[in-house]
Amino acid sequence: MWTKPWTFKEGFLIGGGLIFAGLMLELSVGPVMWDAFAWPANAIVLAGFFVMLTAMAYLRKKIYAFQWMTTYQAAIPAMVYAVALTIIMGLTRQQANGTWLNNMLSFWPFVLIYVYITVILGLTIHRRLRQILRGEWSMKRDVPFLLNHLGLFIALTTATLGNADIQRVKMICSVGEPEWRAMEQGGAIKEMDLAIELKKFIMETYDDGSPKRFASEIQILTKTGKNIETTIDVNMPYEVDGWKIYQYGYDTQMGAQSQISILELVSDPWLPFVYTGIYMMLAGAVCMFVIGGRKRV
Amino acid sequence: MSWEHFIYFAIAAVLLWAVGAWAAWKSKSGMAYATTVLGLLFFFSFILSMWISLERPPLRTMGETRLWYSFFLPLAGLIVYSRWKYKWILSFSTILALVFICVNLFKPEIHDKTLMPALQSPWFAPHVIVYMFAYAVLGAAAVMAIYLLFIKKSDIADQEFFAEQSDKVERDITDNLVYVGLAFLTIGMLFGALWAKEAWGHYWSWDPKETWAAITWLAYLIYVHYRQLQLHRDRLALWIIIISFVLLQMCWWGINYLPSAQGSSVHTYSISE
Repeated sequence: MWTKPWTFKEGFLIGGGLIFAGLMLELSVGPVMWDAFAWPANAIVLAGFFVMLTAMAYLRKKIYAFQWMTTYQAAIPAMVYAVALTIIMGLTRQQANGTWLNNMLSFWPFVLIYVYITVILGLTIHRRLRQILRGEWSMKRDVPFLLNHLGLFIALTTATLGNADIQRVKMICSVGEPEWRAMEQGGAIKEMDLAIELKKFIMETYDDGSPKRFASEIQILTKTGKNIETTIDVNMPYEVDGWKIYQYGYDTQMGAQSQISILELVSDPWLPFVYTGIYMMLAGAVCMFVIGGRKRV
Repeated sequence: MSWEHFIYFAIAAVLLWAVGAWAAWKSKSGMAYATTVLGLLFFFSFILSMWISLERPPLRTMGETRLWYSFFLPLAGLIVYSRWKYKWILSFSTILALVFICVNLFKPEIHDKTLMPALQSPWFAPHVIVYMFAYAVLGAAAVMAIYLLFIKKSDIADQEFFAEQSDKVERDITDNLVYVGLAFLTIGMLFGALWAKEAWGHYWSWDPKETWAAITWLAYLIYVHYRQLQLHRDRLALWIIIISFVLLQMCWWGINYLPSAQGSSVHTYSISE
């Protein structure tokens, strides 16, 4: 044990240690407060994370653990722990106000294991980039590697840290009355930089009475001077000034005669970064399909 | 066209696929291609006419997704056959397709023809079809793993040297199947994320179906990384494939029966509002 090179044993012990540390944190400071990561804290944390990864990569010769973290012996136990914790999450009911296993996303052991995976990913990408810069470059090997790993790294970090900046509000629009106030998730009223007037709510049903289509014909007026008339369907949101506007609900008592339409407005400033990661992973998956199985060299 | 007509198309397709499988054994690859493709066309014409008569893609109920599964198994088999020329692959895919056809014949989950607004999206068909293809290929990988673990093992004891050689070929097939399956699993998952953003306002909400999709995806990633190790235990690697496939079942239909997912998953469409 702890003789170099470290093996799966050390990998599983380190993961277990992180889970223990997570439990201690959960007991002492309570669940992870994701709301604290709102702008600009998330940008600072992300920048700090990059600095930390770079420092770890350059200290690899002094500190063996940092070098070891780019090996399968580190990555595989970390993934096994992540699968196990996510299985527990899949088997227990998750609630926003839940604690411990019932709110896995704020449960320290879960968060620490995923952060650990992200560190491993970051160091592994760094190692490969160093190799490429040294000129040890193979198109067939490195392009899929970077698309898959860097894509996942970008999507994971920006989605997690950007989550606190997501705004989701609901607007209850009535026919003929422009509305500029929206309700936040906690119930607080927020004044928006745009007003929406419902022109007409549309509801179509199949012959058997089950719903076929919900839509709202609306007019949008923005402080930036835009005047837009559009129709919003389920699955077809409209985007204006950083807000995506979704058909959310209607007056269920009135059905097709509903004089109101509930719209949801979502703003996610980090979305372009997350999508960059997602598209890289999509391209990586296509590479994986084309190249197929492992070719050992 | 309705489920009543399914049996005729199913029998015709299975017979054609069986002839194709036989032809592959006899190294008549031209005939194998022709009959398998013909069977696929026959089967797809049923899917297509269901699509037309339902006025929506037949992708909503378990019965309908099994239809696609039965279609993609021989197709996946044919692609693998054309690429690596394994004689047995068409027999294998035909038998698996037959199992799903039989489930549909004896336990059809026939539903009304409506498609709720949340499912009316251009993302719907690619998301589910890509996943069905992934499930088919990963199913093939799981059967290969079972074969290598429990049937082929006697060979290894008998003739170690040759078993080592022939085993390698089959291990490569298994790896190829996992890689192709994982690629499609990734694409299906990410298509789902892009669709979720359009439908529900967020690309990933840790809905029970999404949670299990992440579990399944990670499990296959473990296999892929474990196999990259120079020194790894072969039998353990094969077990990872089987465990991953069990987790995939959870994601596919298991969550419908999972207490923790009841009422909280937007992916369980059985209760219409």
